[in-house]
Amino acid sequence: MNGILRAAAVARKDLRVEWRGRQTITATGMVALLMILLLGFVVGSEPARAAAILWVAMGFAAVLGIPRVTQGEVDQQALETLLLYPGSREHLYWGKCAALTVMLSALLIALLVLLGVLFGVDVWDHAGALVGVGVLGVVGLSAIGTLLAALVLHVRGRELLMPLLLLPLALPVVLGCVRLTEAILTGTAAGLWPAVLVSFDAVSVLVCPILFEVVMEEV
Amino acid sequence: MRTQTALGAAAVLLLAAAVYIGLFASPPDAFEGEYVRIMYAHVPNAWVAYLAFAITFAASVLYLWKRRPAYDHVAHSATELGVLFTGLALATGSIWGRPVWGTWWTWDARLVTTAMLFLIYTAALLVRGLSDDPLRGARLAAVIGIVGFLDVPIIHYSVAWFRTLHQPASIAPGSLKIAPPMLLALMLSLLAFTVFFMYLLRLRTNLARLEAGGEMR
Amino acid sequence: MRNDLDVSDDLSAVSARGLGRRFSLQWAVRDVTFVLPPRSVLLVVGPNASGKTTLLRLLATALRPTDGGGSVFGRDLVRDANAVRVLTAFVGTSAGAYDLLTVRENLAFAAAMRGRPDAPVATWLDRVGLTPVADDPVRVLSSGMKRRLALAQAWLAAPRLLLLDEPYGGLDRDGLALVAEMTEDTTRRGGSVVIATHEWERVMNAADALLALAAGRPVEVGPVAQLTAADLAAAAAGRR
Repeated sequence: MNGILRAAAVARKDLRVEWRGRQTITATGMVALLMILLLGFVVGSEPARAAAILWVAMGFAAVLGIPRVTQGEVDQQALETLLLYPGSREHLYWGKCAALTVMLSALLIALLVLLGVLFGVDVWDHAGALVGVGVLGVVGLSAIGTLLAALVLHVRGRELLMPLLLLPLALPVVLGCVRLTEAILTGTAAGLWPAVLVSFDAVSVLVCPILFEVVMEEV
Repeated sequence: MRTQTALGAAAVLLLAAAVYIGLFASPPDAFEGEYVRIMYAHVPNAWVAYLAFAITFAASVLYLWKRRPAYDHVAHSATELGVLFTGLALATGSIWGRPVWGTWWTWDARLVTTAMLFLIYTAALLVRGLSDDPLRGARLAAVIGIVGFLDVPIIHYSVAWFRTLHQPASIAPGSLKIAPPMLLALMLSLLAFTVFFMYLLRLRTNLARLEAGGEMR
Repeated sequence: MRNDLDVSDDLSAVSARGLGRRFSLQWAVRDVTFVLPPRSVLLVVGPNASGKTTLLRLLATALRPTDGGGSVFGRDLVRDANAVRVLTAFVGTSAGAYDLLTVRENLAFAAAMRGRPDAPVATWLDRVGLTPVADDPVRVLSSGMKRRLALAQAWLAAPRLLLLDEPYGGLDRDGLALVAEMTEDTTRRGGSVVIATHEWERVMNAADALLALAAGRPVEVGPVAQLTAADLAAAAAGRR
C-alpha cells in the first residue's frame, strides 16, 4: 500500500472539495480580515503592530478553519468509509495536514498583501522571507491542528475545546512568527526564533501522526 | 490500605511541621517581611503541579501502549490534582505578588507557562467529561496529556524569550538568594506537599478504580 | 441456539466467538457466535435496533468488540485489523461519497485509497450503470444512484468478505440485479457475503445461512435450507 499515493489522494481530494465549495477559506478569510480591521483600528496601525496583528488574526482564523478538516468528512458521512480503507491512518493525517498547509498558506499570502496595504509596511521587498517564515508557522499550526481536528470530532463542546487546546499548544508558533516577522520588516536579528519554530514543527510532525492514529482508532 | 494510611499519616505530620516552621519558626525576609511565607505554599504548589503533569505524561504513554485501565486511573487522578495544584500555584503567586510587587499578575514566563498548563489540563478533563464513550474519553485525554507535556518546554522558552527584548526579565520569586533557615523551611514544605500529593493521588486513583468497577455489569 | 455450519475455524470466512459491543451501559450486540464458510451468503435479520448494523461494523473493524472476538479468513479483528480491512468491503447506509466531487472523481479516489490507483474507473462505472452521470457531482444524484456508487466503490476492491447493510434502499430493478451480481461475483471468487436487511425475501433464495438478532442477541443461527418462509418472517420480527 503506497502511503505517499494515499496521502496525495487525500490531499488532492480535500483541496478539490475546498476549491469547489470554498467553505474553509471563506470562514477563515472573513474572520482574519475582520480581526485585522478591528485590531488595526483599535490598537493602532503603526507598522510596529503589523506583525502581531497578523499572527493573532492567523491564530483565530486557524481555530475556526481547522475543525473543518474532519468535520467535512462527518458532514458527508464519509468518515467511516475513509477510515475503513486498508493502510495506515497516518497517511490520512499526512494528506489532510498537507491540504490544510496549502489552505492556510494561501490565507497567509492574502493577509500579507492586506498588511502591506493597511499598515503601510513594505511586504514586497521582503516577500520571500515573509512567506518563508509564514510557511514555517503554518506548518506548525497545521501539524498540531490536524491532530486536534480529529480529537475534538467526537466530543461535545467542540467550539470551546478547539480554541482552548489550539491557542496554548500553538502559542510558540504565534510568538515565534510575530518576532520573526518583525525582525524581517525592521531588518533586525532573528535571534533564536527560527530554532523555536523548527523545533516545534519537528516535534509536532514526529508525534502528531502517531497520536492521530490513536485518536482515529474507532469511527 | 496500610500504605495509604501510612502515607496519609506521614503527609499530615510533614504538613504540620511545614506549617509550623513556615508560618512561625522561620525568619521573615529582609525585603518582603512576613509575605515571604507565601513562598512556602506557592513554590511547592507549582512543583507539585509540574510533578503531576509529568506523572500524567508517563501514565498516558503507558495507557496508550498497554491499555490497562489502571494507567488511565492514575492519569485521570494526576490530571485532576494537577488542575487543583496549578490553580493553587497561580492563586498563591497572585496573592504573593500583590503586596510585594504591587500587581496581581506579572507576565513572567513561569506564570504564563503555568497558566497555559492550567488550560491544557482543563481541556484534558473536559474531553473526558464531554465524551460519549468513557474509553474514548480516556484515550483522548491521554493524547492531550502527551502532546501537552512535550509542548510545555517549548511554550516556556518562547514565552521567556518573547519579552526579553522589551523588558528586563522580572525577578522571579524562586531566584532570590535564600538564607539557610528559609531554605530549610522551603525544602521541608516541598517534601510535605510532595508526600501530601502522593497520598491524594493514591486516594483518587483508588476512587477511580472503584468507580470504574461499579460501571461494569 | 444451533450452529449447524460445520466447518473448522481456519477455513472459515468469518468466525465470531461471543462477539459483543457495548456503548456506555447499553449492549448493542452480545454473545454472537457463528462460523461462516467461504463461498457462502449469510443473511442477518432482526427488527430495528437489534444490532445488525453494529455487528457488521464489528466485522468491518469500524468498531472494536468490548467482549469476545472474531476473525475474517483467519485474521483477528483486533490484532490484524488492517489485514481484515484489506480483505473486506463494507457498504453502509450512507454513500460514503463527497457531494462536490463527480462520480468519476469519487470512484477514482476510492480506487487510490484501496491501493489500486490504476483501476479502470470507466469500466466500473459502466458495470454499475453510472456512465451517463459519470461527470455529474454526487450532489445531484438520486439515492439509488448514490447507492450504486457505494456498491461500485466496494466492488472494485475485489473483497473476499462483502458486508452489505440494507443494500436495497432506493434501488430499481437493475440496481437490485446489481447486488445479486456482486454477491455472486464475490462468492465465485472464493469469498463470502453478509447481508443485513429487512427485505429478506430478496435474499432468501441466494442465502446459505441465517443469523437472526433480537435486542442484540442471536435468536437463530443456521442454514437457510431448513427454514420455511414463515420461520424467516418470525426470525426477522425477532421471534423464535
